[in-house]
Amino acid sequence: MSHFQLMVLYATTVSLFFSVLWRREPKQQVLLFLQIFFGMIGGAVALGWLMYFFPSGPPAPIP
Amino acid sequence: MSSNPEKNPPNRPGNVYLAVVLAWLVPGSGHALLGLWKRAALFFGVVLATLAIGCSLEGRMSWVWQGSPIDTLLTLGGLGSGLPALVLRFVFQYEGTLEAAGYEYGGAFVVTAGLMNILLVLDTWDIYHGRKE
Repeated sequence: MSHFQLMVLYATTVSLFFSVLWRREPKQQVLLFLQIFFGMIGGAVALGWLMYFFPSGPPAPIP
Repeated sequence: MSSNPEKNPPNRPGNVYLAVVLAWLVPGSGHALLGLWKRAALFFGVVLATLAIGCSLEGRMSWVWQGSPIDTLLTLGGLGSGLPALVLRFVFQYEGTLEAAGYEYGGAFVVTAGLMNILLVLDTWDIYHGRKE
């Protein structure tokens, strides 16, 4: 599995868990699920794009 | 007064500490003891699925009690899954595979499963004391 697929899987389990833990009504659960899920995915993608402006330097020397 | 068992738990075990220990040992069992069966089943499934994904990726399950505080926290987090984590650790001697591509990523799943279960233990405590539905 690619990193992105794993991230989607991770976001799914976490969103499902918290939507049931924090909300009681099904509609609210679905809403919270979508908020957390897309918040995690969107946040990670946005962070990935921001990292474009801060490229990693040369690898650290092995001690 | 609503009769919805998912809102007003009909069962209240005599000993809350027993409920909390059971909730830690078996994910979702605390909610089951309180009669919240749907939630219990879902939590059981989600926590075990998360742990299973982590193990299928051969993710790290820390067992470090000295040295880096982060490693100790990871150990405590991993142990949060209760009996499944103990069985993995002591019956199957599972600790992940350092060379595996999913060692770190899978480790995140393993620790997340434990942290989810710790939240479930706290949720059981709150529901028992009427602080939460």
